[in-house]
Amino acid sequence: MRVLVALWVKEWLALARDVHGLAVLFVLPAAFIVIMSLALSDVFRDGAPRQVAFAVLAAGGPDVSQALADDLAGEGFISTAAPANEAAAREQVRKGRPALVLLVPDKFGADPSAKLRLLADPTLPPMQIAAFLHRLQGATLGVKTSSPPLDLEVVGNPRGGRPSSVQQNVPAWLIFGMFFVVMPISALFIVERRDGTLARLVSQRVPFPMLLAGKVGPFFVINLVQAVLMLAAGRTLVPWLGGETLAMPARWDLLAAVVASTSLAAIGWGLLVAVASRTLEQATVIGAVGNVLAAALGGIMVPRFVMPQPMQTWAELSPMAWALDGFHAVILRQGSAADIAGPCLKLLALAAVLLAAAFWLHQRRRA
Amino acid sequence: MLKVDRLSYRYPGGEEAVLHELSIEVPAGGIFGLLGPNGAGKTTLISIIAGQLRAQAEKITLDGTPLEELRRREPASLGLVPQEFAFYPMLTCAQNLRFFAAVQGLGGARLRERVESVARFARIEGVMRRRAEQLSGGLRRRLNLAIGLLTEPRILLLDEPTVGVDPQSRSFLLESIRGLAAAGRSIVYTSHYMEEVEQICDHVAIMDAGRVLRAGALAELLRDDAAVVTVRQGRSLEQLFMHLTNRSLRD
Repeated sequence: MRVLVALWVKEWLALARDVHGLAVLFVLPAAFIVIMSLALSDVFRDGAPRQVAFAVLAAGGPDVSQALADDLAGEGFISTAAPANEAAAREQVRKGRPALVLLVPDKFGADPSAKLRLLADPTLPPMQIAAFLHRLQGATLGVKTSSPPLDLEVVGNPRGGRPSSVQQNVPAWLIFGMFFVVMPISALFIVERRDGTLARLVSQRVPFPMLLAGKVGPFFVINLVQAVLMLAAGRTLVPWLGGETLAMPARWDLLAAVVASTSLAAIGWGLLVAVASRTLEQATVIGAVGNVLAAALGGIMVPRFVMPQPMQTWAELSPMAWALDGFHAVILRQGSAADIAGPCLKLLALAAVLLAAAFWLHQRRRA
Repeated sequence: MLKVDRLSYRYPGGEEAVLHELSIEVPAGGIFGLLGPNGAGKTTLISIIAGQLRAQAEKITLDGTPLEELRRREPASLGLVPQEFAFYPMLTCAQNLRFFAAVQGLGGARLRERVESVARFARIEGVMRRRAEQLSGGLRRRLNLAIGLLTEPRILLLDEPTVGVDPQSRSFLLESIRGLAAAGRSIVYTSHYMEEVEQICDHVAIMDAGRVLRAGALAELLRDDAAVVTVRQGRSLEQLFMHLTNRSLRD
């Protein structure tokens, strides 16, 4: 433990002397959050084109569900299989797949008090909910001569909110900033290797996993501080400049779990780049290009819901998309532990693979 | 005695071995000069002894015990002073010394005592609060040496420890190294300065292309090879070195 503490203290001292490098980690995501939240606020307000999956669950049975689903499908709305029951429907909408589930009561059409209920994903732009309601009105004309009585429920978001520009951009650019620790991690590591300090530590029989752990601790704390400051920026700086205020999650513990998982994946990426790169220039190019590509693909720069369907599928490959799913599950959908388990496990598995790869590569070069 | 017995090594992916069946014996309490032109394999050999590169570990022994086994029992039995300034320039001298002491398992009073001791030995007490990047070349060399002595190692590997320093600092470093050997350590010393090696080493090995060309007590080498060398060039280590390794440029 003494060795690990010594490594952490050294890393802190080294980081503290690199004020400019450290500042970039905070200024970069904060600047993106402010600029993009303000710049894209109208786009989010008006809604953007999107293929929306929906399902119909009719008490009258699968045939009724299918008939209504067939009528509703089209013009950007895709019918999916009906969930087994209302609980399953709520669970699926909470995850955003499908984004809408229409619950049809048994005596709908016959009993005037029987109301339709529409469960909606909170990330769905209101314009698309309105478009769906319009189609619903058309589809039920055969049953009702007036607009059908309907209760709209946005699942998982007690504030009744919808994804605003700030709710998309704060998590997105926070994730981007967290992954940018690749730069200082690799810079410090490569300078250590170039100056012979790493070789000296190895000759002093400091185990390489311990050296890696010595990097993880301080950068994990930096990522946590980034998260706190960026969320604070979403609560204070963006509204102060005329944007919307970031809605905060009900479960802080889940938010912490998503931040921690994202941080470990980002640090693992940084350490692999550090070990794999032979020069600072290499690390800078690999780290920066890798981050920008993962951000572009993963819905950081362009929200995934405005991407065409094939691109949305490709986006699933980006660790930043996994992290964004985790943040959205907590912040937008007020999800449970089960909702963040998938993204967090993927990020933690990635962190483990990246750290193992860094260790393996180091051992191979030393052989 | 530190003994390397028929050690060969090839870098991963390398086509040719950089060390070929190399053997040396470093007596305890002496300074062993490892000489060779650039690319001879000196730094590779030092790196293997120091444990930075993994090679046939059983071929390196200290007093009959495999070095790897000894270092598992006594991790601090070997000290390395690399050719580079292998410390953190943004940290102060005191922070560097404390850090390298702590990662080698020292703590509390023992850590403070060793830091003070090596600082005194290297005469850097007056600059302990200065950042390493602000030190002169000579002070940096002394800090580099001080870090290698923190655990009072039985074997000390010095890889060109006087490069780039003024005559005063060089003289001080050489005196200090003599003092370290007198305390019973085995010191392996590499340098391109032949007069330095002649001044402080009692045994030498002249290497080239991964092989030892000559090894033994310095006085004996100069005497035994005199017949070969003196005919044309005289009788100094540098002349013997040039005779054995040829005059062609290596880099």
